[in-house]
Amino acid sequence: MDLTRREMIKMSAAGFAAAALNISLPTPSAANEEIVVDKWIKGTCRFCGTGCGIYAGVRNGQLAGIRGNPQAATNFGFLCVKGFKGYISMYHPDRLKFPMVRGVDDKFHKVSWDDALDKVANKFKELQDKFGKDSVAFYGSGQCMTEESYTFNKLWKGGFRSNMVEGNPRLCMASAVGGYITTFGTDEPAGSYADIEKARTIFIVGSNMAECHPILFRRVARHKLQNPDNVNIMVCEPRLTPTARIADVWLPADPGTDLAVFHCMARELIKNNWTDAWYINNLCRFSTGAQDVDFKAYVDFLEQFTPEAVEKITRCPAGNIKEAARLFGSHGPSMSLWTMGLNQRTRGVWANNLIHNLHLISGNICKEGADSFSITGQPNACGGVRETGSLCQLLPGTRSVTDAAARADVEKTWKLPPGTIDPKPGFHTMEMFAKLGAENDQTKPLKAMLTSTTNPAQSLPNAPKYFKGMKEGFLVVLDIFPTRTTQLADVILPAAFIYEKGGVYGCSERRSQLTQKCVDPPGEAKSDVWIAAQIAKRMGMERLIPWNGDDPQIAYQMAWDDYRECVKLTEHSLYGMTYDRLKQLEAGLQWPCPDEKSPGTARRYVRGYDPIMNMPEIVKVPSSALIYFYGDKKHEGKANVFLRPYKGAEEPPDKDYPFFLTTGRVIEQWHTGTMTMRVAEIARSKPNAYLEIHPSDAKEYGIKEGDMVKIASRRGFNILPARVVKNSLPGILFVPWFDQEWDRMINRVTIDAFDEGSKQPEFKICAAKIEKLGEPKDVSDMYIISDPNAAFPEKI
Amino acid sequence: MIITGSAIMVRSGTDKAVEKKLEAFPQVTFHGKSNGGTDLVVNFECGDQEELESLCRTIRDSIPEIVDIGHIYINFEDEIDKMKGELS
Repeated sequence: MDLTRREMIKMSAAGFAAAALNISLPTPSAANEEIVVDKWIKGTCRFCGTGCGIYAGVRNGQLAGIRGNPQAATNFGFLCVKGFKGYISMYHPDRLKFPMVRGVDDKFHKVSWDDALDKVANKFKELQDKFGKDSVAFYGSGQCMTEESYTFNKLWKGGFRSNMVEGNPRLCMASAVGGYITTFGTDEPAGSYADIEKARTIFIVGSNMAECHPILFRRVARHKLQNPDNVNIMVCEPRLTPTARIADVWLPADPGTDLAVFHCMARELIKNNWTDAWYINNLCRFSTGAQDVDFKAYVDFLEQFTPEAVEKITRCPAGNIKEAARLFGSHGPSMSLWTMGLNQRTRGVWANNLIHNLHLISGNICKEGADSFSITGQPNACGGVRETGSLCQLLPGTRSVTDAAARADVEKTWKLPPGTIDPKPGFHTMEMFAKLGAENDQTKPLKAMLTSTTNPAQSLPNAPKYFKGMKEGFLVVLDIFPTRTTQLADVILPAAFIYEKGGVYGCSERRSQLTQKCVDPPGEAKSDVWIAAQIAKRMGMERLIPWNGDDPQIAYQMAWDDYRECVKLTEHSLYGMTYDRLKQLEAGLQWPCPDEKSPGTARRYVRGYDPIMNMPEIVKVPSSALIYFYGDKKHEGKANVFLRPYKGAEEPPDKDYPFFLTTGRVIEQWHTGTMTMRVAEIARSKPNAYLEIHPSDAKEYGIKEGDMVKIASRRGFNILPARVVKNSLPGILFVPWFDQEWDRMINRVTIDAFDEGSKQPEFKICAAKIEKLGEPKDVSDMYIISDPNAAFPEKI
Repeated sequence: MIITGSAIMVRSGTDKAVEKKLEAFPQVTFHGKSNGGTDLVVNFECGDQEELESLCRTIRDSIPEIVDIGHIYINFEDEIDKMKGELS
């Protein structure tokens, strides 16, 4: 690179950084962008649910640069280490480049696309003919593009007439969905990220935002830094994470006990008159779940949750709970932010309900700076899976398959005969994998599955229980790299990465953002929509999925327009989000966005902000109502405040397994590490999983830093190096779940008990025991599966 | 060669001291700062990503007034060419 070009790039880079910070530089950075790259293409980051806006720089047909989009309302130009380095995954030599089919020698062999797709379509037809329409399932992902989830969902529910459609958001967000729907009657938050900068009290609960949503956390931390005396941060979390370190109040409750903390906070709000009578009288309905009760019954119910009693249950100091309630109730507006610590529980829906309770009784919702905001884990769990209805019980617009009117509306839009869509929900994720198996196994009604952009052989809880079903069923896997799941597959189809195809992602704050195609995929890899459409064509469903051309930009837009039409007259309408508008608008758009003039909706349920309030064709709202929860199934505009009983985890510690095991992510690695472990710098910083243990527990077991430890549950074990850290509480162990290496795959140990309402498993809590195995050993192998024919470690 | 456009967030009132300390790092080019002096705009130039991470770690460790280093722009065309050259 010559000096002139280097200087131009430096000036350009500085200019972009300055623009992101609203800084005028003293010397003009008149960089000529054409010298730096051929073109900059707007898009979003591939990773978490924050939805950071990016620009990808393309030069000579390949990516040459990435920059944050300063105009993006999510990240204001900042990106974390994953967002910057994700591109390296795209160019890794392990990329799957051609279709493969498992031969009689049990090895994968390269085949043509025609051969692979013929095999898949013919097998699906054969199985459906022999075992029924519900014998073939689709398992998608919160990392698929919206157009992809919508297409597969339409093919299955409209084409195959089967509701055997699920996605990995069942594992991360289903309880949040359940919480919103049971409390408000409809899914997703009322407010937006912009409420962060208006809040005076921010309650982060069950979330290590600093590592799992770092750019969103940056907004929280900057707000606090700029208002140190006026903004309070409270964190409820059993570990003293980097998130908890900035807290003014830390609520260290034992895993699974926090329902008691939330009830206690509600009790404090009421006892100290930190409530809003107008909200209570006009917007709240008090319910046990089985029957409606009055406010007095709620007050009487809460009486058992005194701070002192709750401290005994939770180990969380009573004084901390009282202070948290004081700040929440009297130092508002107050905003709560949470993720998996609440969701991945057998009482996940209830945990979500109780946070909503706090906001409803104190009037901390539907106002600037006040919201009960569930942060999404994956980049498109909201937009792609929840909103397109790609779960076994849903239809597009997050409507229920059991709703006759919803079925009729979707059938009409899809030009299907009335009665096509099955009213009976399919299997939820855990049931789906439990019932997948061999053709001659009568106990397994599911005989085949197609998975896309997900790695269930590593990500399912108690994973070994499900290996046999995946191996013996006919498994088709779409992915970009070999994984534990491809090792069990019959057919592997190479997929394109986001910047190689384009599409829409919808993030946590109901914001849809379009990524346009930047470069071509490697080898013969194809977009998921193309793959779905080709299968549809071979199975006689071309009229249902007509977007089967080779240009993904045309196909994805067709799918998107079909989806827009399908949800046009729903509470989740995004009819106004045309591709043209999404291309032009730097920040994308938030739904509801019912027409092309609509600027989108930052705050739902409030007249003047939410267009649905004035759309009687969608929902009838009294003209006098200023705030109205129009999802209320009783049509009273109220939200439900639930009297949920206290219940802890499914498998708390006992004398045989005396520790809590909890799992989670770390900032550098994403999910099962298949992409991020292929980035050298990330791999070096976190080359292997480890066991976090408190010093007092380590001392009791004779464990020193780095020692090899066996951690076991009633289901399985791992062998991990110990990290002795004070940021754990005694009795609590933490293991990150990114490692693919067999002995360090922590989902061999976790529990697959699930919430009865949401069917979401309890990844966050199970009982475990430990023993020291030996002295430190170097396990920093940065393990990845490079060869699709690498043997699966367990004999099945 | 990796070139970034980055923001260094510093504690209030420490911008001049941080600017002085950054002079010890030839890989860092200072361009300007916010009105309040809490955000400095710089380039980092490094051989590769690993060197960039190592440099940022060193800078954070040696300049306690720094609250955070955030990258907003990164040019990596040389790295892709190198990766593709190594692959073929």
